[in-house]
Amino acid sequence: MTRDGIAGLICLALSLCLLVLTRGLPKSSFVPIGPDFYPRIVLAIMALLSVILIATDLWKKRARSAKPSAEAVADSEKRNYRLVGITFAVFAAYVVLLPFAGYRIATFIFMAALQAVFEMPRSARRWIIVLTSALVTAAITYLVFQHYLSVLLPRGSWTNW
Amino acid sequence: MIDLLLAGIDNIVHLKYLVPLFLGTLVGLIGGALPGVTITMTIIIVLPFTFGLDPLQGLATMTGVYVGGSAGGAITAALIGIPGSPSAITTTFDGFPMTQKGQPGRAIWLGIWSSCFGGLLAGLFLIGATGPLAAIALEFGPWEYFSLFVFALSMVAGLTEGSLVKGLLSGTIGLAITIVGFDPIMSVPRFTLGTEFLRSGFPFLPVLIGIFAFAQLMTDIEKMDGSEQTSAPIKAPPLTVSHLKVLWEIISRPFLFIWSTLVGILIGVLPAIGGSAATVMAYDQAKKFSKHPERFGKGNPEGIIASEASCNANVGGSLVTIMAFGIPGDAVTAVMLGAMTIHGIQSGPLFVSQHPTIAYGIYAAYLLAHPIMVLICAFGARLFLRVVTVPKSMLIPNVLVLCVIGAFALNNIMEDVVVLLLFGLVGYALVKARFPLAPLILGLILGDQIEVNLLRAIMSDPDPWLFFTRPISGSLLGLSVASVIFAIWQHQRHKGRAEKIETEPDF
Amino acid sequence: MKVVTAAVAGLALCAFASVQAAYPDRPIKVIVPWAAGGDTDNIFRPFGPALQKAMGGTTVVIANIGGASGTVGAREAKGSPPDGYTLYAVHDYIHSTYYIGISDVNYTDFEPVCLIASTPSIVTASPKTKWNTMKEMVADAKAHPGQISVGATLGSTSHFFPALIEKAAGIKFKYISYDGLAQRMNAILGGHIDLTDGNLTQKGKVDAGQLKFLATATEKRSPELPNVPTLKELGINVEYAVSRGLLAPKGTPNDILTKLEGACSQAAKDPGFAESMRKQGTDVHYLDRKGYASFLKDNDTLNKNLARELGLLKR
Repeated sequence: MTRDGIAGLICLALSLCLLVLTRGLPKSSFVPIGPDFYPRIVLAIMALLSVILIATDLWKKRARSAKPSAEAVADSEKRNYRLVGITFAVFAAYVVLLPFAGYRIATFIFMAALQAVFEMPRSARRWIIVLTSALVTAAITYLVFQHYLSVLLPRGSWTNW
Repeated sequence: MIDLLLAGIDNIVHLKYLVPLFLGTLVGLIGGALPGVTITMTIIIVLPFTFGLDPLQGLATMTGVYVGGSAGGAITAALIGIPGSPSAITTTFDGFPMTQKGQPGRAIWLGIWSSCFGGLLAGLFLIGATGPLAAIALEFGPWEYFSLFVFALSMVAGLTEGSLVKGLLSGTIGLAITIVGFDPIMSVPRFTLGTEFLRSGFPFLPVLIGIFAFAQLMTDIEKMDGSEQTSAPIKAPPLTVSHLKVLWEIISRPFLFIWSTLVGILIGVLPAIGGSAATVMAYDQAKKFSKHPERFGKGNPEGIIASEASCNANVGGSLVTIMAFGIPGDAVTAVMLGAMTIHGIQSGPLFVSQHPTIAYGIYAAYLLAHPIMVLICAFGARLFLRVVTVPKSMLIPNVLVLCVIGAFALNNIMEDVVVLLLFGLVGYALVKARFPLAPLILGLILGDQIEVNLLRAIMSDPDPWLFFTRPISGSLLGLSVASVIFAIWQHQRHKGRAEKIETEPDF
Repeated sequence: MKVVTAAVAGLALCAFASVQAAYPDRPIKVIVPWAAGGDTDNIFRPFGPALQKAMGGTTVVIANIGGASGTVGAREAKGSPPDGYTLYAVHDYIHSTYYIGISDVNYTDFEPVCLIASTPSIVTASPKTKWNTMKEMVADAKAHPGQISVGATLGSTSHFFPALIEKAAGIKFKYISYDGLAQRMNAILGGHIDLTDGNLTQKGKVDAGQLKFLATATEKRSPELPNVPTLKELGINVEYAVSRGLLAPKGTPNDILTKLEGACSQAAKDPGFAESMRKQGTDVHYLDRKGYASFLKDNDTLNKNLARELGLLKR
């Protein structure tokens, strides 16, 4: 089974789970059909399409069992999945940190960390560039949004800043 | 109407509006020119900056970004052969060969002037047609809206590259995202698993930013090898050219120019087909009508004119649909519509008549953005090439911070930033599974509306056959079925050919 | 280049510095629980600058926290620290959503600050209907019970107002869900609904013959609409207006509340605010903390009874 089949299975599982959850939603006297009516249609269509996707995937696989597919060739290209994982982790840490440390501190840390992840500074000069750019981004966006554009950014509950 | 437009222009020609419009166009041009930063992404990044502005200021900025972005793609496409945004792909076919032949100035200015004129011509259509179309839209009851949305969804799912089933499934996933949280009529919580977090559902903007921004940025990050070289700046070639000659090249091909513009407008007006479809179609048409189709792909000016005129005409066309019906054409227009909503503009049949100042202000901003775009290019085209080489290790963290601000600032709650992260993961997974994202976004933006109109129709009259027997509604549903059948037929026809080369997903 | 870097870094440090002072020393956030551009937003946007002036120049920021019939913003306001830096712009929906069971936030979770405006409701009919007066409409409704369609946000003010008329006139409507005035206007102009709860902002369309005002829900006829009768004149004993005010999270210190109350009473007299309210068909209706508290209490009982009569009461 290729990634199509797996994606289809996940969608199928998701739609079936949600279908179960549509049971027991209360109906209102003002609306002739309940709040479960439309979700059931959507989820049924989703389940049906997932089944078709899985079926075509299985069928296709039988048809081209010998030759390597274009997908496999594309996958053999070098892809840095490790870096993607780290980026997601750093971003998640930023999201968690934001309400506690406040926008300015969290953003500074995030900017510096992610730049270092992408390209580890090897000299003092590079470190200065990375830290300065992090400081500038945190400060400029704060100034522009909070003071000039009246968009209130999160304040830290630990730092009250 | 003319005096309203003049009043609109008079309104816009104040520093208060000109500065945002200028900045928007500039940022749009840069964003459009940056390979890997699409117009959608540029609009997402600029959006939070407009939250604090008054509506017309904000919308002037957004219009500038949209117009500038559509033209900006041509610069990188013509000069370094990489489309700055997906819709500029056809510009690379002839623009880059022309540059290689030693005529970079001709290539880039053919593109810029064609964009400008194509856009302006579409502007006339925008101003003339929005009112009448809005009058038609007013006659649309819940049945018609329901069928129109279904039609839009089936079109976009059917026309995407790759698998039809995946396109449809992607649209359905978009719809499924909207069913989580309070139901739109009686606010019954659905699928919340008893949590507070899910009660209000997934707000549109954080989901959109998450899916698009992460899908794209992470695909870029995959290709980084950890020790990114500070890439040597590309040498900007001299761009001197006789503008009169270039203009004559365009004017001497009136049929080509007007036909491409019309294709662009038409694709723009049709709900749910995006900019790349417009340029590809216009390029294809130009080749078909040309006396020398063999010259295409080798630096033929006709190819550039067709592609760029249709690209910006598409912007004008899609603005009509956004303003009159409140329906987005593709991801870019979806974000534009979101931007309007955030600025308190309820686009729809009554928008132009109820808010003439803002509507005509948008028209005026749209028209003025074109000359501004030409001016900026005249001074800055070479500079853009420098910006294009900003290292990704610095660009990506900045873009992510702006995404967080964009997601947070809309509702001022941290939950939205969590939603952003969640759908960042979803978006990346979908790209890895090669799902087209445009249908998903359309499903996401239309989901609530489809449900609400379905329920309204049934609340007005319990007879379900009305969806088919009301003439407009019935024909729209017929067209939806037809478009899916057409897509199946097209896929069958293509099957005999060799394995298709996987194209990068169209953001 | 170095100079520029240094200058930018210096500027950055300035932005990080902050000074402590007495209340208010930083921007005050007013949570509007609906999207920008809605009725409530339109009323609090001009109130913001007036309040800012009355607070001695402290920035007042309107924060739109929309979603789920206004209950997301309500929950956010309830959870905010009671330090006077977060206020909550509210209207009668807080009672109805509580009793209908949509929201678990009640008005008792807040301290009243002031009532600032009330917008009287007007029975508004589509141009495609055959009636020209309220009497004709009522007669038609009696002849065809459950046939006349009313566009409303179910469970909110636009639903409760026609429901009061139903009860007072002994008629029955058919409700169709249309959230927000803008959507209702699209539908009523296209003739997809017959009636809705409108207000004076729609006067332009009535003058242009696109809409019909049948009756106002005020005590006396409105000076702007001398030819439109009140419901009371017609023997339908209904008075209805949507009232909007400011609340602060429970536990906000008394001196801060007093300070806010004073600023509100000054802001409510601001000529710029008055002018923009007049344009929106809204009366400036100021009540101080005490007055607003008893107003909220009465309104709460009224809404609870209404929800019970409509069969929607969940608490």
